[in-house]
Amino acid sequence: MDEALIPNGVQRCSPKTFFLWMLVWLALISWGLVSAFLCFYKGLNQTNMNHYFAFGLWIVFDLSLIALGAGAFFTGFLAHVIGNVFIYPFVKNLKTIVNAAVVIGFICYSGAIAMLGVDIGQPLRGWFIFWHANVHSMLTEVSFCITVYLGVLTIEYLPLIFSNRKLDKIPELNIFGDSLHHLVALFAAAGTFLSFFHQGSLGGMFGVLFGRPFAFRQGFFIWPWTFFLFIHSSIAAGPSFTLLCVWITQKVTGKTLVQKSVFTLLAKISGWLLATYIILKILDTIGWAYGVVPRAGLSFMDFYQGFYGVWLIIAEIGVFGIIPAIILITPQLRERNGLLVIGAAMNVIGIVFNRFVFSIQTLAVPVMPFDTFMSYLPTWQEWGIALGTVGYGILLFSLSYRYLSLFPQEAELNPVTIFGQVVKDFGVIKRG
Amino acid sequence: MKKRDSAKGARYGMVIDLDRCTGCGTCTIACAAENNVSVLYDESDKTRNINWLKIYMLTNGKAFPHTEVVYLPRPCMQCGNPPCVPVCPATATTNDSDDGIVSQIYTRCIGCRYCMAACPYHARDFNWFDPAFPKGMDRYLSPEVSPRMRGVVEKCSFCHHRLMSAKSKAYFEGRRDLREDEYIPACVEACPTQAITFGDLNNPKHRVSELIKNPSAFRLLERLGTEPKVYYLTTKDWMRRMADNYLQGESKKEGNRPEKKNG
Amino acid sequence: MEFSRRNFIKFFAGGIGGTLVSPLPWKLIDDIAIWTQNWSWVPLPGRGKFSTVNSVCTLCSGGCGIEVRKVGNRVVKIEGRRNYPVNQGALCPLGMAGQQILYNEGIRWKAPMKRVGPRGSQEWEEITWDEALNGLATKIRGLRNEGNPEKLAGIDGNHSRSTVALLIKRLFDAIGSPNYLGMPREEDTHAMAAFLMQGTNGPVAYDLENSDFILSFGCPLLDGWGAPGRMMSAWGQVAGDKPSTRPFLAHIDQRASRTALKADQWLAPFPGTEAALAMGIAHVLIREKRYSKEFVDDCTFGFADWFDAQGHGHKGFANIVLKKYSPQIVENITGIKKSIVIELARRFASSHAPIALTGRGKGLLPGSVYEFMAVHALNALAGRINKSGGVLVAHDLPLAPWPDAEYDTVATDGLKRERLDRAGTPRYPFTRSLIHTFSEAVNSSQSSPVDILLISSANPVFTIPDSKSLIEALDKIPFIVSFSPFKDETSLMADLILPDHTYLEKMEDVPRPTGVQYPLFALSQPAVKPLYRTRHSGDVIISLAQRIGGTIAESFQWNSFEETLKGRVKGLYQLGQGQIAYDGSEPVWKRLDKKSGLTPVYSSFESMWEALRETGCWYVPSHTFGTWSEIFQTPSKKFEFFSSNIELALKTYSKGKSLDDALADVGILARGDEVYMPHYEELKSRADEKEYPLLLVPIELINLASGWIGNPPFLNKTLFDHQLRKDDLFVEVNPKTASTHGLQEGSKAVLKSRTGELTVRVHVFHGAMPGVVFIPLGLGHTAYDRYLKGKGVNPYEIIDPTEDPLSGQSVWWNTRVTMVKI
Repeated sequence: MDEALIPNGVQRCSPKTFFLWMLVWLALISWGLVSAFLCFYKGLNQTNMNHYFAFGLWIVFDLSLIALGAGAFFTGFLAHVIGNVFIYPFVKNLKTIVNAAVVIGFICYSGAIAMLGVDIGQPLRGWFIFWHANVHSMLTEVSFCITVYLGVLTIEYLPLIFSNRKLDKIPELNIFGDSLHHLVALFAAAGTFLSFFHQGSLGGMFGVLFGRPFAFRQGFFIWPWTFFLFIHSSIAAGPSFTLLCVWITQKVTGKTLVQKSVFTLLAKISGWLLATYIILKILDTIGWAYGVVPRAGLSFMDFYQGFYGVWLIIAEIGVFGIIPAIILITPQLRERNGLLVIGAAMNVIGIVFNRFVFSIQTLAVPVMPFDTFMSYLPTWQEWGIALGTVGYGILLFSLSYRYLSLFPQEAELNPVTIFGQVVKDFGVIKRG
Repeated sequence: MKKRDSAKGARYGMVIDLDRCTGCGTCTIACAAENNVSVLYDESDKTRNINWLKIYMLTNGKAFPHTEVVYLPRPCMQCGNPPCVPVCPATATTNDSDDGIVSQIYTRCIGCRYCMAACPYHARDFNWFDPAFPKGMDRYLSPEVSPRMRGVVEKCSFCHHRLMSAKSKAYFEGRRDLREDEYIPACVEACPTQAITFGDLNNPKHRVSELIKNPSAFRLLERLGTEPKVYYLTTKDWMRRMADNYLQGESKKEGNRPEKKNG
Repeated sequence: MEFSRRNFIKFFAGGIGGTLVSPLPWKLIDDIAIWTQNWSWVPLPGRGKFSTVNSVCTLCSGGCGIEVRKVGNRVVKIEGRRNYPVNQGALCPLGMAGQQILYNEGIRWKAPMKRVGPRGSQEWEEITWDEALNGLATKIRGLRNEGNPEKLAGIDGNHSRSTVALLIKRLFDAIGSPNYLGMPREEDTHAMAAFLMQGTNGPVAYDLENSDFILSFGCPLLDGWGAPGRMMSAWGQVAGDKPSTRPFLAHIDQRASRTALKADQWLAPFPGTEAALAMGIAHVLIREKRYSKEFVDDCTFGFADWFDAQGHGHKGFANIVLKKYSPQIVENITGIKKSIVIELARRFASSHAPIALTGRGKGLLPGSVYEFMAVHALNALAGRINKSGGVLVAHDLPLAPWPDAEYDTVATDGLKRERLDRAGTPRYPFTRSLIHTFSEAVNSSQSSPVDILLISSANPVFTIPDSKSLIEALDKIPFIVSFSPFKDETSLMADLILPDHTYLEKMEDVPRPTGVQYPLFALSQPAVKPLYRTRHSGDVIISLAQRIGGTIAESFQWNSFEETLKGRVKGLYQLGQGQIAYDGSEPVWKRLDKKSGLTPVYSSFESMWEALRETGCWYVPSHTFGTWSEIFQTPSKKFEFFSSNIELALKTYSKGKSLDDALADVGILARGDEVYMPHYEELKSRADEKEYPLLLVPIELINLASGWIGNPPFLNKTLFDHQLRKDDLFVEVNPKTASTHGLQEGSKAVLKSRTGELTVRVHVFHGAMPGVVFIPLGLGHTAYDRYLKGKGVNPYEIIDPTEDPLSGQSVWWNTRVTMVKI
């Protein structure tokens, strides 16, 4: 049915299997759409957010997605900028994963923006951020950067789409795609700049909240430490997430898509970044505990009560920070397939914890002495939109994988053989 | 991100005498009536209802009959260094340099709620629901304040429209300055025990500027550096201590930083 | 052009590019944003000319001045008037939310209605006023034709001095029915105690503002008592003063109420033992000779031992108090340490202008007569009667009386019949009305002794402690007419609705607002034209009387309510004294002893009337203090510690039986001379204390309307979420009590009394006395709209009232309950 669209030299599952696979994610997306409709039609009372929890599940997802999407810019940055411009050949290897990273990045950012579209109370006025921009707001910075960066990702994604076997035959698209492709290093550089800024601004968003001692941080010039920590943590976790996605793709398709060396390289980069991040994070936490906290007249334990207990900080920094860092920076450990994946996964979980803590715990911690700790559980509508976004991501990634050459090495690593012959042009083989 | 109080002109503020306040709630209702605040079916959901001036009931926790209770009315603190203003991405909330009032532009607010996350006083309320008025009650709405739509944040404005009309009145009479009693928010006017005093903190002739020098005057969460313009008075030590966070063994004096002069 | 794919793509791309360059999408985006700023379902306030109407709040009988702010012909806000003597700008939360009462379409009757379905089905048919009134007139004529005018009964919640109440009473008189019942009020108990001890019938006025030591026996001065605007304004005027210069407030309460919290001293005796505490203080005053000899010796009767005309010796008040109420005994009864009792007494005696007062609730809940007498005895001992800062002996306003009603024989015969509630009979000699005995009388008869029941300005189904028995009675009464403007519990049980205007739509008078210590006549003005097809109850009564015809029509020779009112006001004009304006500069209470400034500024009645309509008040800013010789109207012409009236009444009642039996009937536990004197009566609950270990005490909150006016939605904003959460009402329980009952903050529990059970949630509160469960009154409506209906529970559903000795009023705060967590 769709053979004509499938890249040359690679094998894909039957349309029926693919359809069933898609059905699962379409179901999730429908759940998300129903939820979104309810939120638009009835208002945000459909959520369990309230005056205390002004931010909820969606912001946790947004922050996490954007942090994890950092794999796109960072891999691109390594491959195209460091690899090309500064000529560190070892990172050039990463080019084999860059396409996948771009798609993942695109998914994360577009998903996050879509969620934000539901999250804000007046989506139809969302563009006021640009029209009435307040340059002092970290959120303005975030909005500008992620919007422009989504444009960059789109531009990076387009050549990939245009390189589809069928679309490639259209000369205009071909030329357009090619010319974009030639500028890839430039876009990678632009993307890097933008990404650095909005990852940082996202952290800054919380660090500047001087009314919330839990989140508030001192910093450098106008940027609180969280600004830098968010950049650092996102580039530490992004590659791990890319790695994890590719690994899952390999498991699902049962194929080797990239060389193992690429995995270990990503893991190594991720690991060292995570290790340095964790050190800085610990320093930051100590600095906070002995600076911001007592200045606000509070003690460390005031922030950790009830559900939002010390376990969170142990989980975030200890279990899902130090442990994966050790796994990923130790060559003997990361060489083991299982540990590599566990390490990457833990790294990713750690970052999600971090984003959760900053968005939710910040709001749960009472500031006025007579306020109480509040707790929050999302509604099915909130889950619907969050999981719908996940469904959208998997769906788009599956489509991209099926019809685009996400992994340049795929054909090479998985020769299609029929009667012992390597078949280059799979398209001409008729099934059955 | 600490900025100094940016007000250059008047610096309107309020002093609430908690020893006088009986917590009757008349201020809250006057505020709601004056500002077209909507009414939820379930007003007991304090995390979702709209209340520009919320009253807290605080107790000293002592056993019967040594129990003491203070009712603490909490309007918007109209901070001199508001945490909420710089964070708004769409410039929908501003700190007016002429009067020090933190305003909210409902038609510009995109409902991102970042300002609510920034405000430690919970002074900002988001419209989770379409504004509701029981059937027929839209007839008492005042044209002086526009009702808000669902999906935007709203908060106490120190009855800014009253300031505007007082100013235009003064302008037509050829005056530049307002008399102390010319501009009074609805809650201050309504307080049946006259527990709230209002005026320009910068104007030495206004009673508020005198009252805030009272040693028993305090503000909520002074240590955060938000520079609230709502002051409280009480002779109850436990209440003063409850207004901010203190480390063990720390006295109120140590905890407080000297008030910054506006510049 | 060839239609190829290439061209199509070109066309498409060009189209997108072109559109983006054009203003169209940008305009659209902008328009959509503008649309969100003008959503049609967000109400748009109408514009119009700004104006104000000066009026008086008549939601309670406090008589606070209000300024109604209007835009065009709409009320937008209500504010307190600074230029009004009663409240001087202050207003309570309910008064502030009055516009919600006016405009809440869901709770109002919009036209006269006739019930068409079975009772309770809420099937109604709109009818004309003529139909409604003619029908009712015919029915009443029918009763009279049968010679049973007494089968018409009425329950009236209007203040007994108001013109509407007098019109309704007059209608009953002219028709010939004695069964006109007023809703209970704390003032009735005040008046009864004043009558028994002073022989006076006028209102009791406490000159609190001029006192320097206020001893409040549970009187919730800052929780909505009296005229709340006056009380809060007065508090605001002194609260900022140094403790040494402001009045000392000692408050007796079982709960950290707003008054208790603001008091300089808060005492918590066991519930119901307030009279014992008062007697303990009296003991110290007498023992230490700290009482006013001048007053006690010259102006009182029954203080020392005495002999009556028959030569029988009687023990005096002093003797009994000294013997029975030593501080130690009082400590045992009340739980208040004897040293504190002594200290309190000394403080009371040594103060310059002390005053003692009592009463629970905002004013619509009856009190206990002996308790009032015990507390009032303190005022007498200290010589505080008719002194500045004391208890003033006030007189009714000199309003011009109407010409006497005409009575035909049916009326004269009817009026001779015994009242169903037996109020005023030897059984309840001093009581004006009793709703619960009325219900009992209806319920115990084979067929209802009442054929037609008129209910005005009251919602007794909701506000009477023994509502169950009243509901049973209402079910039995064949025809119920409600004058309520609201779809309240009682009007929903009626057969005919003759809806009144709400208070902002009509003119009404409040002669002598509750508790105000100088003569004041408050007059409200309609702020808006009636919104619906409603009619002023005063006009309806006049019109009804005229339709009944005969002597009844002759008794109502007025064209309108306003005319009747104006006629009464003439009396004020004829007094030749009084003011109709207040400039707010000097509170009236500060100048009560002055004799200047009494000359009126008006020159004719018409000019006075016009001015009165504009300002809403007429008052005499003066009081004649200190005259004791002529004020007491008791048989002894003195202030009576030994009440001759009680003696007389009990003599009458015990005719044909022993005094002991009579006392047992009336519920008096005391024996001997104490029966006729202020004393402490232990109120026994009917429930077993072991079985029902906790005491349930209903409380009234200033921000929760608990009378016949339903709580407006704005007030819900001010209730804490530990008072009402979703539909659950919270009761306040001491941590100790909570832990012995296994209850935590927020626990759901069943409150069970002898007569019923309620599900509530628990607020653990240090400020609640151990062993007592405090439950707010005002929620648990089964009528009104969804902003009120179904929220919380009505404590009265499980109140197990006993009768107050002597007055027979329901004791509503003495129910024993169990509390079990669920």
